[in-house]
Amino acid sequence: MKDLKHLYTFEQLLESANNPLVRQAVEDGQLALGYTCYHMPEVLLNLPGCFSVRLRAPLTGSMDIAGYYMANFICDYAKSLLERGIEGGYNFLSAIMGTETCSEMNRTLEHFEIMKLVPNEKFFVSFLDMPFKVTENTVRHYVDQLKVKVLNPLHEVYGVDVSEDAMRKAVELHNEVCRLITEIGQYRKEENPRITGYEFHILNLVSYTCPKALILPMLRETAEELKTRKPDAKKNWRVKIAVVGSEIDDPGFTKLVEDTGALIVVDRFCFGSKPGREVIELPEGMPVLEAIARHYLTTSQCPRYMSKEKVHERHQTVYDLVKDYHAQGVLYEQLKFCEFWGYERALASYVITHDYGIPSVAIDRQNATGSSGQLRTRVQAFIESLEIKQIQAEKGVR
Amino acid sequence: MKLPNPKQIPEFFRHINDYTYRFNPKTGNFRYREFRGLKDDVYNFYMWLKVWKDMALLVAKGPLNIVKALFRYQWFATYLSYPAFVDRATLGMRGNQLRMARLQYDRIVKKATQFLYDSFSADENFHPGNKKAKKIVLFDELIPCEIMAGFPNLIGIPAQTMPIFLTSILDQNIVPPYLDASENFGIPADVCPLPSAETGCALRDDYPKIGCCIISCNMPCDGSVMTSAFQERYFKLPSHPYGVPIRYTEEEVQPYAVEEMKELIKFIEDVSGETFNWDTFLSAMEVYNQETRYELAKWEVNRTPYPQMTGETFWIYRMFFYHLSGGMDKNFLKTDKKVNEIMMRGYQAKAPCVKEMRHRCVEWSCPANFYPDFSIWAQECWGIYVVAAMETLISDVIIDTSSHENALRDLALTYQRCTMRKHTKGGYRNVLNELWTVCEQYNCDFVLMYDQISCKGMDGLSPSSTSRPTSGTSGCSGWPRICWIPERSPSGRCASR
Repeated sequence: MKDLKHLYTFEQLLESANNPLVRQAVEDGQLALGYTCYHMPEVLLNLPGCFSVRLRAPLTGSMDIAGYYMANFICDYAKSLLERGIEGGYNFLSAIMGTETCSEMNRTLEHFEIMKLVPNEKFFVSFLDMPFKVTENTVRHYVDQLKVKVLNPLHEVYGVDVSEDAMRKAVELHNEVCRLITEIGQYRKEENPRITGYEFHILNLVSYTCPKALILPMLRETAEELKTRKPDAKKNWRVKIAVVGSEIDDPGFTKLVEDTGALIVVDRFCFGSKPGREVIELPEGMPVLEAIARHYLTTSQCPRYMSKEKVHERHQTVYDLVKDYHAQGVLYEQLKFCEFWGYERALASYVITHDYGIPSVAIDRQNATGSSGQLRTRVQAFIESLEIKQIQAEKGVR
Repeated sequence: MKLPNPKQIPEFFRHINDYTYRFNPKTGNFRYREFRGLKDDVYNFYMWLKVWKDMALLVAKGPLNIVKALFRYQWFATYLSYPAFVDRATLGMRGNQLRMARLQYDRIVKKATQFLYDSFSADENFHPGNKKAKKIVLFDELIPCEIMAGFPNLIGIPAQTMPIFLTSILDQNIVPPYLDASENFGIPADVCPLPSAETGCALRDDYPKIGCCIISCNMPCDGSVMTSAFQERYFKLPSHPYGVPIRYTEEEVQPYAVEEMKELIKFIEDVSGETFNWDTFLSAMEVYNQETRYELAKWEVNRTPYPQMTGETFWIYRMFFYHLSGGMDKNFLKTDKKVNEIMMRGYQAKAPCVKEMRHRCVEWSCPANFYPDFSIWAQECWGIYVVAAMETLISDVIIDTSSHENALRDLALTYQRCTMRKHTKGGYRNVLNELWTVCEQYNCDFVLMYDQISCKGMDGLSPSSTSRPTSGTSGCSGWPRICWIPERSPSGRCASR
């Protein structure tokens, strides 16, 4: 396929958290608000005068300094953020909007507070108390938390407009990005998709890490370009798979998997688009903040939700995505030392294989995986097993 | 023959009683029992017999159940080692300290045998379709039982306490088979072994089949949250996830906490058909308050130059009465009263619980279940006396019983300050700043800092905890020495004793 016009630019933008678009927005006087978790509504960090930056620490090598402050059993993502923070890589931030969702990330963000890592007098870190299920009580609680931990401090410290109108504007901008990414994502359902998993991952990542208003023109252009893009006549993939699991902000992982012959058609992981790029509906008569809270609580597929319905929903969602996108198998991945996904990948891969009849493989991985030979071998083996199943199915062999 | 100098006889007894002299490192056993003096030995022997009496009574009440359980549940045989565990936990103790410890362990065995009796007599593996099973509400072990005081016709049983938690304290070799089961299933070996072992117990079908419903909860940590999905899948019972605020020291989360409690009550009412009885609940909370006051008295005494209770007895008993008594079992109150009398007698006489206390110590973070008598070792061999432990210093809320709303509000507060919450959730101040405050309050110059290598809450703070308190936090007089102890709570396989 012909390369996407902006792909190289997007790749360059992902090489640094403080990328040129972020710098441009900060120079324009906008507030950069860092966050790390889906439960911190991205849309609220894009109120007028602010923009959200989902924190990444690309190209991290040694994590020796973070290793001094956090033990070895902490996930690389959390440690690499601390390492980068200590290096001064997030000095452009005006605040970090945290959630106490997983202990590891919580401790990382606490270090920003304890060690005063960002040299900005007004800089603050705030932590949401996130519920573990979806009920009317938890929605109320979430709304209260968003007011107390997000809107009030932004208004009090930086004078950000947190009115209903301002939130509506933020939702409009957010929804436009979501519509574009969803539209692009629809191509992955095609028999021979016109976009690879790697390309989609890149597009989706820039939508999380760059100021929305600045990245939108390029995303629009890319969506237009894709309308007429022709896939290669000969398929350059062997099987389609869904990737499900914990945080992946390293496009190198997607590249590694696709280099082995798979095509990733579903990204059901943190920093993915399922969930992440659904349009936020604002029902008439419902306060905007409540609508936002309900959206994030109900769409979240995080394994920390404990109720039986949510556990079942997670499995069913993967099954539905596999069917919608014609995936042949599921790759459950877990960032090494992620407590939530450690359990979830074990149980979910069992359920999806034994209860739903979809082949799966469960792997754990480091944050930066580009050159992992072991991982490559495991994925190759999985792809071969899917191919064998496909051949057997075609021959009618059980 | 030359007679020994009478002045040397006490020194001789001290020498042969010495922990390190009696201990044989090759076999891991003591060569012989220590001699505590006639009075203490007689008392100790009497209490040892009482433990066996309680265990024999359990067998006598349902011999067939016990035999079946011995063959059905691998963990159950561990309870035969309870007397030996108490022996280890009371090493070196004399006089008041021995009596207080023994009384508390005696109460624990009585409650434990009651739970075992209820579990096996209602176990559908042994008695399919029995009615008692439907009178039981299974709780996650981290949910205190107080709420069950409002359901006097139902029995609340913490699902994992008897199979995993208590057994892991008694025997360091009981958890690995369950860990193997969960790791064979695909759960990583780096997660906290306590919830992992609980998952393994479900995977190995080793829980008694009891209950009309199961209440899971998000306490204390991420691992505990995740094990609930496995257990719910195993028990196949109606379930309710009880949510406890994470940022529990913040005022804004309290209305949510109270509402969660109301939802919990409603769920139990709906499933069991019982109605919440406010009278029995409030009266149990009065008992609970009295128990809490006795506990606070222990804290107060241990802050003085004459602490009366040291070692792990302090936290083990605290966890047990806190979680299992819930104000419903008045026998705990009797024990507390007796212990309080002995303690106050010693304190008023300004009698030190030991002759020489080289260091006053705080035990912080979660202790190693596989080696609970570590603090006894530290005491006997190094003169490091634990006068405060994190798991002891859990909720100190006195429940206001003047109205239903107030009682629920305070109970919700109590639940939020549950076991293992300080170091896992709610922010670093709960684990760090509070440590400095405790050091100051208890005048401690030493901290035994358990470094549970798989605990993500502590992993995220490790060395920064040793930094000096920042300005504005409570500092202690003189900087306490912090000794980091790597461990992996219920599993002794990765970090040995």
